Amino acid sequence: MKGWTGYILRVNLTDKTWKKESFTEDFAKKWVGGRGFASKILFDELKPGIDPLGPENKLVVALGPIAGIPAPNTGKVVVAAKSPLTGFYGDGNLGSNVSSQLRKAGYDAMIIEGKADKPTYLNIEDDKVEFLPADEMWGKGTYFSNEWIYKKHGKNAGVLNIGQAGENKVLFAVIRSLEGRAGGRPGIGAVMGSKMLKAIVVKGTKQIPQADPELMRKLGIDGLKKARELDQKSGWSKQSTNAVLAWCNEVNGLPVQNMRKTSHPEAHKIDGERLDAARIATYGCPSCTMHCGITIHDDEGRESELDYENIGMLGPNVNVFDLKKVGSLNYLCDDYGLDTISAGAVLGFYADAIEHGAAKGDFKFGDADKGKTLLWDIATRKGEAGNLLADGALKAAKVYGKNSADYAMQVKGLEMAAYNCKSIPGQALAFGVAAIGGHHREAWIITFELKHSKRESYGPEKAAKVIELQRIRGGLFEMLVACRFPWVEVGYELENYPKFFNAVTGLDWTLENFWTAADRAYSMIKLHYLREFPNVTRKDDYPPAVWFDKSNADTEGPQKGVVLEYDKYDSLLQHYYDQRGYDKRGIPTMETLRKLGLEGEAAAAGKYAKLN
Amino acid sequence: MKVTVKLIGPLIYEGGFSEKTLELPGPMTAGELSAFVKINKKRPTIMTRNGKAVAPGDALAEGDRVVISHIYSGG
Repeated sequence: MKGWTGYILRVNLTDKTWKKESFTEDFAKKWVGGRGFASKILFDELKPGIDPLGPENKLVVALGPIAGIPAPNTGKVVVAAKSPLTGFYGDGNLGSNVSSQLRKAGYDAMIIEGKADKPTYLNIEDDKVEFLPADEMWGKGTYFSNEWIYKKHGKNAGVLNIGQAGENKVLFAVIRSLEGRAGGRPGIGAVMGSKMLKAIVVKGTKQIPQADPELMRKLGIDGLKKARELDQKSGWSKQSTNAVLAWCNEVNGLPVQNMRKTSHPEAHKIDGERLDAARIATYGCPSCTMHCGITIHDDEGRESELDYENIGMLGPNVNVFDLKKVGSLNYLCDDYGLDTISAGAVLGFYADAIEHGAAKGDFKFGDADKGKTLLWDIATRKGEAGNLLADGALKAAKVYGKNSADYAMQVKGLEMAAYNCKSIPGQALAFGVAAIGGHHREAWIITFELKHSKRESYGPEKAAKVIELQRIRGGLFEMLVACRFPWVEVGYELENYPKFFNAVTGLDWTLENFWTAADRAYSMIKLHYLREFPNVTRKDDYPPAVWFDKSNADTEGPQKGVVLEYDKYDSLLQHYYDQRGYDKRGIPTMETLRKLGLEGEAAAAGKYAKLN
Repeated sequence: MKVTVKLIGPLIYEGGFSEKTLELPGPMTAGELSAFVKINKKRPTIMTRNGKAVAPGDALAEGDRVVISHIYSGG
């Protein structure tokens, strides 16, 4: 087997043991890597109904056959576990040297089991695994911890670590790495914290096995050069992802005031031009050709790394239109290890719930200073509000009652990213059917909706576009594992990726092979969901009720009076199910599962719930 | 005819401005306006007029607000 190392590292924190386990070529070809590996491993090894924050949950770190190999944006890592936020499979990706270092250590994935009896970090160097005390880092933020590790283990080490939020099991705690940014939005950092695992440090010295290393070297170098040229030619990096903020404001898609509003006259104060003007440095992940992290000095003089999602959710979503203050909220999220999207959504929800009399408190929209205090309260579960909000918007809404769940801006418990879709049906669907809950990573179709369809359409073309992008973004890129930006933002050709894959594996795959593998991974995640929630209904794929509420429509502007329509959304959902081969609950049919070679998994899931 | 043009992202650096009101020499379509403000024809763009999507061949009217953007993909 080439391309894959052929080994998974299994670490048990309870008894401080580890072993190197091989996997077959059939497994590799069926699941590719990253999300594919993680979803299959966790399906096979976790019993439904386990406590996601108990020792029986497992943390998977998974790479793919081109991870860590010099080529455009291949310095990515997938982290996954049963999510404490959503109650089923959850994952995310982040940039880190772990991508190359773990592969050089001889592994394509790592499974972490059990629970340490005291704060611990793992030090992995080729065939050696050490369980080391993390007392000096425990209780500290991610900046301190990451630097502490660099001082002890060198800057070339790959590092994954958590902040106070992960330690305190905040349900939207992420895993961080200073070599990239953050990943694991559905509380994968909390799973790490529940295991008393502060950090993972990896160094490897071996060769990554490749079928044709000379060809891959040439393809990789050419690719890096081409992707950089495309970025420079397009000018994308000038404002990075935050250029879209001004556009969202113009087309009534900006999340303002817990997504109550869709634009704001002060949005220009935090847009891409202002971000570029305030730039002090630019950062990217390992092997990055188009750095998306722009840093500014926040209102306390700290360097804060911003992009659209964190500005959108910690800015307009909480009515903060001061870039330095947004930077400050973002810095604290990063340091505490809180997901910035969920943090912004939770703050917005809390202010909204107070305004509507569902919650008590003195936090108001626009109060960035109080927001900073709240972030610490959340990260440390301090006080009634901090402890409750640490469980995410939906769980907090269930406690607050008074219909507040209607404006908890989430799907399946995961807070949605920074696009307000009450008048954008296709993107609302993309959030509704994202594999792990309300995530933008897998499909974003707003420009397609406006340019190639009709904004008000609920037609099958939008369902088809969501599926097309899920296969690419949530499938190919999450399984290989690589960043989608060179393709999605500056047009680096998708056909390059099978070439990389074939050069390292010696196989002869086309994009079609990847679409099948992607569909398999999506079905696998659906079976996770079915197993955990046997009473699943199609309502689970609906966005929040407030997007359907006429009283929440824009009161002026081109989208005045427009909200989603239940009947039409349901028909759009049915288009998606029909094209996917899912039943009326949104679960793959037996026929679909058979076509994907998932008969065994279907039988396993069938013990817990009915398949059609 | 006066229209307001707002450029988004990298187009600001291509067109040399972020937003301004222009006196046009005569009637124009949205596509002609894009060329008028020196946006490269080869660059894929999306245009809106008064907040709604507009095709390159659509005629503009007095007082329109036209937004021309690079095609984003949601990160």
